[in-house]
Amino acid sequence: MSLLVRIHQWLSFLGNFTSLGLAYILQTIFILIFVGISFVALIYIFRKYMARIQRRVGPNRVGKFGLLQLIADLFKLLGKESIMPERRDDMAYKLAPIIVIIATMLAFMLLPFGNLAYFGSLAVTHSKVTLILMFGILSILPIGEILGGISTKSNYALLGTMRAVAKDISFEIPMMISVLAIVIVSSRSYVTGGAITGGLSLSGIVANEIIPYGIIEPLGLLIFFISMVARASYSPFDLGESDSELISGYTTEYSGMRFGLFYVGLFGMVYLSSFLISILYLGGSNGPFDHYVGFIYLFIKTDILVLISFLIWVTLPRIRIDKFVNLGWKYLLPLSMINLVYAGLFVLYIR
Amino acid sequence: MVATVKEIKMPKKPVPVIGSLKGMLNMGKYMFTKPVTTQYPENKGEIPERFRFRIFLVPEACVGCTLCSKICPNHSIKMEHWDLDRTGLENNVVQTARGDRKNLQNKRNIYPDVNFGTCTVCRQCEEICPTDAIYLTHEFESARTRNSFTYSPEELTMQEEDVIK
Amino acid sequence: MSHWIELNVGPVHPSTHGIYRFRVKLNEETVEDVDITIGYLHRNAEKICELSYFVNNIIYFDRMDYIDAMNMELAYLRAVETLMDMEVPERAQWIRMIMAELSRIAARMVGIGAVGLDLGMLTPFFHTFHEREKIQKIFTEASGGRQEVNYMSIGGVYQDFNEKIINEIREFISQFKGKLEEMVKMLLDSEIFWQRNEGIGILEPEVALDYGVTGPMLRASGIGYDIRKDSPYLFYDKVDFEVPVAKTKDNLGRFLVKVEELRQSIRIIEQCLAKLPDGPYFNPKAKKSAMLLLKGQGDVFTRVESESGEFGVFIRGDGGVKPYRVHARSPSFKNLAVVPEMTRGVLIADLIATIASVDAVAGEVDR
Repeated sequence: MSLLVRIHQWLSFLGNFTSLGLAYILQTIFILIFVGISFVALIYIFRKYMARIQRRVGPNRVGKFGLLQLIADLFKLLGKESIMPERRDDMAYKLAPIIVIIATMLAFMLLPFGNLAYFGSLAVTHSKVTLILMFGILSILPIGEILGGISTKSNYALLGTMRAVAKDISFEIPMMISVLAIVIVSSRSYVTGGAITGGLSLSGIVANEIIPYGIIEPLGLLIFFISMVARASYSPFDLGESDSELISGYTTEYSGMRFGLFYVGLFGMVYLSSFLISILYLGGSNGPFDHYVGFIYLFIKTDILVLISFLIWVTLPRIRIDKFVNLGWKYLLPLSMINLVYAGLFVLYIR
Repeated sequence: MVATVKEIKMPKKPVPVIGSLKGMLNMGKYMFTKPVTTQYPENKGEIPERFRFRIFLVPEACVGCTLCSKICPNHSIKMEHWDLDRTGLENNVVQTARGDRKNLQNKRNIYPDVNFGTCTVCRQCEEICPTDAIYLTHEFESARTRNSFTYSPEELTMQEEDVIK
Repeated sequence: MSHWIELNVGPVHPSTHGIYRFRVKLNEETVEDVDITIGYLHRNAEKICELSYFVNNIIYFDRMDYIDAMNMELAYLRAVETLMDMEVPERAQWIRMIMAELSRIAARMVGIGAVGLDLGMLTPFFHTFHEREKIQKIFTEASGGRQEVNYMSIGGVYQDFNEKIINEIREFISQFKGKLEEMVKMLLDSEIFWQRNEGIGILEPEVALDYGVTGPMLRASGIGYDIRKDSPYLFYDKVDFEVPVAKTKDNLGRFLVKVEELRQSIRIIEQCLAKLPDGPYFNPKAKKSAMLLLKGQGDVFTRVESESGEFGVFIRGDGGVKPYRVHARSPSFKNLAVVPEMTRGVLIADLIATIASVDAVAGEVDR
């Protein structure tokens, strides 16, 4: 029994239609709060973690251990004057951060969070095509970056946007092909050998993922991980920002809360990509007693991935744009093709 | 003399991915070491013995020779008239008819006046002073508002907490 | 038809260390032309030096290459002492040598860390700065100042070495050897670092000589020119060290030459500590009120090897207590001027990597 059904039952005195709608809204708010708190915790953890690797202490002034630092930062950003460039394209300029943040938030609504104790399944969306929806939403994100970059009429932002677009295009295809390989593998149960439906929904994939797909196709895991680093756009692939070359890339002309939204979107993307990797490749919420503590498994896997991502972020230098595009087209694309063929052969073999 | 020139040995190029992983672990292991930074207001750290900042003045020893104001590279030190008539001074001071105490060696009654806004703590006033009247101390927390960096001779004899600006 | 945009790298930009401005003509990502504007940190130091006593000018030289203050002082004092025929006691000269080499290490720590920082690698910078902090602690222990030290005086040094300082230097040297290799490994382990530096920013030796480039940049182009060897000052002819040279002419070569020089600096300091004699550490002719009466007449030009190259000081004295003219030949100025030659037709990311490897200090460029 899922959380959605439970809320629906509690509110059944309101009539079927109203209670179902309210249940959806309530659960969306519940997940939004969870995601919002996660973002704040994530930025705090990132700052502490980076500080410790660099032998510093990190935030430690506001509240105990600096726990309230992010809240203070939020108020600072809200209180700041939003300085806008004069020759901006007003609508696009203001829309861009909103697109980024909404797309990130929406993507979280599609994740199969697994079961947690009494609440049951925490997933909001019970669609059969969440995989397609997810990558559809992910492809909205670059639109925000592009709008933000070109609407400000700044040369730094323009170059940053060009880089961001090149990055997104060259890594979209390997990413999608490696996801396709997952769909192929999950179309057939490797326990019974029989065909399975629901391979296009994330929850369906997780349900079939008794052995994590990362073990079956490690190449796909590698490609997907690299693509996700590129999509989330942190070092070594932070070409949209390139902070030592282009000041701050497409976010150069943003200040105040609008910049804050881009920043949160970046961390949201790190979190989301870790979720996706753990769902698609590392078994998601599967494990012993997963009908009771599945969410915990997913959460732990995701957090370990987040820590690995942060370690990559602070230790690797930025790759140059031409080498980066080369990596996408000349190495990852053929490798993802090989991975696809391998997935097909694997499915044929287990049948 | 013939230069001993040595061509450097090129280090081995790292293996892709594995080299990066090694570097990551190399840096990541500092996660488990203690931070090396100190938190300033709580932990001021050790101040080395020769560390110098705030200038102090021994008015009894000052002979008003103006050497410190001459050598000051930024003209931070100016000489200022000050009738030294406080009680409690022991050396070089005699009782006058009016009952005041005076520094007899300083005939012109001029003492240095330091503007810390421009002082670069070069320590040359301390170096040149013939009677060691002007000296620098470990005192360094002397933050002030913009227009109150100038210390009169009287304030130069006081501790930092007593100087009210 | 060529489309280009103009991009300002500087004066306020994360990757210009100090303040100077590159007006970059860009064709998409490719750099077509670089135009350097300097003068944002011009403090008129040479003119101010004419207005103050000989002893006072040390602090203005401290502030030229502010990350390598000891070598700046040394350069000025060499000129002044030659002008005045001032003798420096032997102990003071050895102390100066130790301090100059420590200062070189401290300055290189900034340079090497910043190479990583400009390539987007955040962590090594903090490790190199921690090492620099240790040297600055030794400087504070010896002189009382952290960065603008004002340690050397005409005819010697202001304060003598004591056991504590020598022990601290020994301690620093012994731990620094391992730490240096570790920090270099942090950078060199990553193949992206190699990609970004190998074969980028080629500086041909002929071009380097035309522009008057010196220091590690010239040595990375294959010419082993080092003042410490070619026209030795202090006791550099009595210690044993090598001049590293790279034939690669690129950013990586410059980085490796800088690292190798650090190893040589450690060797020099070790030998200096072993040879440090007892005796006076200052010349009494330049103490107390005699400080104001130091006079000099004639023209003098002396050079030292600072962290960025050949730093020369010209002084003309007219017999008065103040110099008639002071001029500094700054290596960073020349090294920076050659950047357009090195970066024609490269990508903008390579321009940034090249600027990082040149490591010009704005205070010295503008004086």
